[in-house]
Amino acid sequence: MDKNKDKSIEDNEAKTWRKKLVIAWAITIPIILLMYLPVILGVMFFEERVMTIILLVVAFPVIFILGFSTLRSGFRGFVTFYFNMDSLIALGTVVAYLTGLGSLFFQIQNYSGISAMIMAIFITGKYIESKARGRAGQEIRKLLELGAKNARVLRDGKEIEIPISEVKINDILIVKPGEKIPTDGVITKGESSVDESMITGESLPVDKTKGDNVIGATINQDGILYMKTTKVGADTFLSHIIELVEEAQGSKVPIQKLADKITNIFVPSVLTLSVLTFIGWLAFGGGVNHAISNAIAVLVISCPCALGLATPIALTVGSGMGAKRGILIRKGEAIQTMKDVKVIMFDKTGTITKGKPEVTDVETAKGIKEKDLIQISASLEKLSEHPLSKAIVNYANLKSYKSVKKFKILRGRGIEGNILGKDYLIGNRRLMQEKKIDFKILEDKIEKYEGDGKTTMIVSSGKKVIGVIAVADSVKEDSQRALKYLHSKGYYTIMITGDNEKTANAIASQVGIKKVIANVLPEDKSEKVKEIQSKRGGTYVAFVGDGINDAPALKQANVGIAMGTGTDIAIESGDIVLTKGSLIGVCQSIELSKATFSKIKQNLFWAFAYNLVAIPLAVGGVLHPVFAEIAMALSSITVVTNANLLRRKKI
Amino acid sequence: MKKKITIDGMHCASCSSNVERSLRKVPGIKEVSISLMTKKAIIETDREIPEAELKNAVARAGYKTISIE
Repeated sequence: MDKNKDKSIEDNEAKTWRKKLVIAWAITIPIILLMYLPVILGVMFFEERVMTIILLVVAFPVIFILGFSTLRSGFRGFVTFYFNMDSLIALGTVVAYLTGLGSLFFQIQNYSGISAMIMAIFITGKYIESKARGRAGQEIRKLLELGAKNARVLRDGKEIEIPISEVKINDILIVKPGEKIPTDGVITKGESSVDESMITGESLPVDKTKGDNVIGATINQDGILYMKTTKVGADTFLSHIIELVEEAQGSKVPIQKLADKITNIFVPSVLTLSVLTFIGWLAFGGGVNHAISNAIAVLVISCPCALGLATPIALTVGSGMGAKRGILIRKGEAIQTMKDVKVIMFDKTGTITKGKPEVTDVETAKGIKEKDLIQISASLEKLSEHPLSKAIVNYANLKSYKSVKKFKILRGRGIEGNILGKDYLIGNRRLMQEKKIDFKILEDKIEKYEGDGKTTMIVSSGKKVIGVIAVADSVKEDSQRALKYLHSKGYYTIMITGDNEKTANAIASQVGIKKVIANVLPEDKSEKVKEIQSKRGGTYVAFVGDGINDAPALKQANVGIAMGTGTDIAIESGDIVLTKGSLIGVCQSIELSKATFSKIKQNLFWAFAYNLVAIPLAVGGVLHPVFAEIAMALSSITVVTNANLLRRKKI
Repeated sequence: MKKKITIDGMHCASCSSNVERSLRKVPGIKEVSISLMTKKAIIETDREIPEAELKNAVARAGYKTISIE
């Protein structure tokens, strides 16, 4: 609801400036003719006093009516001492206009026509600026428009269509083929496939059936779906993405802080400079007219309008481009820091690998029946949410489980529990070593599995080993390609995992990572990041991992890149969130950050360049106020146009 | 806690910087982040600040508050 308001505020702004623009020039062009034709043709149309009065009358609406909002904003700055850029234009144009009045009584030149021209050019600049600003935000606006407007709800056995705002949690919604899923929910009946590309970037439609989650704004393909609403309004996935993107646009890019500081002192400084210029020229005997002209030129050219727009507009275009590719830049700061990153650390499970392990081998110790091993293991693992546990439970596919007492999860090591009086442990080498359980008899099998890149879970009963279950988690299809790209760009890559060394090395070699830090407990990951950061007198490290489980490591890293875990981006950490879950996103994030940051630098340069060159010229008396205003408008136009060019970059 | 204030009329960097300065003066405001593109000021506060106080701060800088979320 608010989002639509934002859109119309922007549209209105551009429309307003356009109206003013047209009228301003409709009046100003005749003024220009009136002022300069006589000079060119050498003929006087009117007597001087009459000319002056005509100019004053005609220029009045341009400055005081069309320019009213600008003047009001500018002069309010004088009253409250909160000067702003409008203060410069306001003062410049009003003073110029007053010379017209003054010329009726004193021997000074009538600059009121010039004043109208300045205002007209200013309005032109503002119009182009507001249009470009609107265009810059278009990708983001498209995100806002993705949401469904209506939903078909089942109430009291009847199907009725209601606006999306009236949908409540637990409402059963019906989605027909080709329609948009109205909001986040879970399927209660029906089967279909859903195109989720606009949210997750997954190019192939995803099959959905009873029990599966669906995301609002995705498109149902060819089956009918009945779903129960789980989230509405601001809690939906789409809303969270939009909020993240909005936050990012307000976030500060460090380089901007410098620009802001300059902007703050600029206006008062320029006002002072303008007065000094006036006094200076008077003192040097340049004549009142020249003094006034130069003072006005200084006022007008020094407006740092472009400076203030330089960073935000580039950030907006960059954010929009990212959002389109499933890259959500949460902190603008990341864009600047990214260029200094030399080392990228990757979590293994779920980041490089699919995170969906599957049981590949089951080996029992002598005298143990495989059926029993599976039943015991599955009964214990059923109580754990760990992906490895789920793999075993899925493999076992049991109809009934043994009841487990005294169940405990030992983080980074495994689980323990008691079934029918016997104590069981399932876990890694470390766990067995700590509990002093000898697994030598199965050692060669364990090594073989690990050599294959599998994770092994050793099962023990009491102090005896009863079996080993090997689980494999395959590497994501494009992880290899992504790592290849990163290596080709010179990044030093490290894999960090809680898994054992052999498995880790096997996976690492599949993707070309040379350095592996294995057997890391979850709580130690951020320490490891710190260690790498301290190497070689300080290194910038990016960490790529799970948004929720790797939060400390993501925070510790200079740039934290979170792989979207699906539906909970609201609570995920990370400076950049990748909703697509592909490592290619890391490559794209790097490219995008570099491109956006360099665009910001370009913009700041252009914003400054015009001012820096023109101010001395204005003070020195070589710059006519009209040309000064043209230059000022050009600087804003250059900056916003340049920002929009960022879109051309191939990421 | 975070609040979003939508403000009308900020069209240049000095406008937003003035609003920022004015908001920072309100006790309890820890962080202010203003975007000219979204026309919103995102503030982080350590106490529940009455809307009137926020609106005043914005008005002091010379601008009108459209909404506070």
